[in-house]
Amino acid sequence: MRNAFVIAHKDLRQRLRDRSAIVLGLVAPLAIAALMSVAFKGSDTFHFTMGVVDVDRGPVAAGLLKALDAPGLRQIVTVKTIASKRSAADAVRAKSVAAALVVPAGFSASIEGGDPLSLVTLTSVNQTVAGDITSSIATSFIAQLNADRLSVATALAAGVPTSQSAHLEALAAGFQIPERAVQRSIGAHKLKTISYYSPGMAIFFLLFTISFTARSFFVDRAQGMIERIRAAPVRPLEILAGKAMSVLVYGVASLGTVAVITSAAFGANWGAPAAAALLGLAMVVAVVCVTALVMCIARTQRQAEGISSIAVFGLALLGGNFIFLSSSPPVMRTVALFTPNGWAMRGFTDLSTIGGGLGTVAEPVLAILSFSVVAGSAAALLARRAVAA
Amino acid sequence: MSLRADSVLRVRWWLSFTSDGARCRGPAAGNGDLVPIVSTGNTAQVPDEPVLRCAELTRRFGERLAVDDVSFSLDAGEIYGLLGPNGAGKTTTIKMVCGLLEPDGGTITIGGRPAAGDLSVKSLVGYVPQDVALYSDLTARENLAFLGRLYRLHGALLEERVSEALELTDLSDRAGDRVDSFSGGMKRRLNMAAGLLNHPVLLVLDEPTVGVDPQSRHAILERVQTFGRGGMAVLYTTHYMEEAERVCDRVGIVDRGRLVAEGTRRELVARLGQRDRIELGAAGDLERLAAAVRTVPGVESADTADHAVHLVAEDGRRILPAILEAAERAEVALNSVDVVEPDLEAVFLHLTGTALRE
Repeated sequence: MRNAFVIAHKDLRQRLRDRSAIVLGLVAPLAIAALMSVAFKGSDTFHFTMGVVDVDRGPVAAGLLKALDAPGLRQIVTVKTIASKRSAADAVRAKSVAAALVVPAGFSASIEGGDPLSLVTLTSVNQTVAGDITSSIATSFIAQLNADRLSVATALAAGVPTSQSAHLEALAAGFQIPERAVQRSIGAHKLKTISYYSPGMAIFFLLFTISFTARSFFVDRAQGMIERIRAAPVRPLEILAGKAMSVLVYGVASLGTVAVITSAAFGANWGAPAAAALLGLAMVVAVVCVTALVMCIARTQRQAEGISSIAVFGLALLGGNFIFLSSSPPVMRTVALFTPNGWAMRGFTDLSTIGGGLGTVAEPVLAILSFSVVAGSAAALLARRAVAA
Repeated sequence: MSLRADSVLRVRWWLSFTSDGARCRGPAAGNGDLVPIVSTGNTAQVPDEPVLRCAELTRRFGERLAVDDVSFSLDAGEIYGLLGPNGAGKTTTIKMVCGLLEPDGGTITIGGRPAAGDLSVKSLVGYVPQDVALYSDLTARENLAFLGRLYRLHGALLEERVSEALELTDLSDRAGDRVDSFSGGMKRRLNMAAGLLNHPVLLVLDEPTVGVDPQSRHAILERVQTFGRGGMAVLYTTHYMEEAERVCDRVGIVDRGRLVAEGTRRELVARLGQRDRIELGAAGDLERLAAAVRTVPGVESADTADHAVHLVAEDGRRILPAILEAAERAEVALNSVDVVEPDLEAVFLHLTGTALRE
């Protein structure tokens, strides 16, 4: 295997001189992870300003304003009082508020009558999430009102004197319906965008190693270098092993550097270092095996470029390097489990949210290594033909 | 571009040792006689065995028989040329010798040891491929150091061998430059230097002068002759007749995968007897002219190549008038008529019925 080290050393020297390798292995994943982080920054802690137009000035409108000032909503919504519906529409259009809620004149009085008025929400297509939340708040408030009205009506029908109706209304308003279903993450931490896209982009650009290693192999072959190496006392498998070793070193260096920089500079959470390192190493081994397989399957440089492109983008798309796997359809989540990077993304997500150490990544690491064994065995079977061709 | 005297001495010195320090044989041993070597290393050569022996080599590519029952041997200090047109089977033969292709039949022994299945035998061979095979983004020294390490050279010995190979090929002053900054001739020389790093017992050169300017070609041929004089066995393939005549001690003529004749230039030319080679330079239908002269009594073979008709005939000067008459009948105007002293071109034409084409 000494010759494999010699070949790996030479390959790494060439790679260090190739600026594109530095860009793909380091600059690009850092830049894209940072961009993704900035682009999705709002999704970690969503907050918007809601305009409220109180034309009613009655007790129900006051109740609505009080509800909007509740501590739970205050984290999401800042309320800004606006004088008229027209001004509110202008404010939404001018994006000074993301959405507006209009309590029409006579709204409180209409609640007590038989023909209640509607709350009006003003939304913009550019602020769909804020609009949805505003509509949801309005719907929820109306549901509460209707429940109160139903309670009072039921009590009065049961014979409670109408003089008690105000007291009944106050009582009903004290109850919150419906009973709330509260969502709690099982993780100790929320998944931050940067914590997902840092490994996501690092692995995506690691996959490009398949492409340029396979390409360099066929360039070497076309230039007669593989033949020249084979004329020396070198076994065919040593040539592939040398190429594989250079990918391993390059991959580990690239992943490790991106992990350190994104953690230090952008606050990405890669999880426990030992577990993250093991998971990263397993992923690099998988890339090595896929690279070897591509080199063994392809017969020409063009074929190698085509196959590796399919492999890179196919794996990245199916494995969830671009999209949150947790929010993708179930079929996508299932398909991702057939890719090594899908397992790696799952492992890094678990490390970032659940925490833990080697136990957390045991299953993903085993799955990735199983994939590697299959790809590596196929490559080993075809290796002699590939080098001798 | 001439090789320096001290380089010649160095060649002689290092050819007296194999890469593991074993004694080799060759003129460097003293009086010019071949001396059996004594060694226990894995690159040792068996005494009294030729450096290379190919016996009944056969290789097919699908239905095509590329090499057909080829046998030849090569001693230390001997330059053996495989001469034949493109596609004759020369490169396939040397790829089998270098372990790059497995023969379908026959055996190869290098230094008395069977080449099949023995990786260490490759340490005895230096291979210089036809096309320049070097990393253009590495320097000359880095290229040689990389290839040297594959032959288990390291440390001071590796440094020494690299410097030596660079010196032998007059590239010491460009050692630190990237290969992509080299001229074509310099790349060729470095390509050859890479084949010398392991101090091979057998140097295999596959058409090393193809596409090379005359000055570089002259330098390469001069070096090859120096290697031979230094005791190295050289297997040299070419389709240039004049190269084979100039550098090779013995020549094997290859045509359509078969070794049709071999021997020294004198032996091969002697096979022609009183025959002459005649070159008819003409403008017009050369195939028609060749067909016409074939009908002349005494003409044994005629073929077209390089804007001329080449023919072999017994007592060419005597039948020249008949040949001119045949040309006139064929209505082809002759530009020149040369009766050439018997040479390897004539031998090839005589043996194969076809002319060597560049």
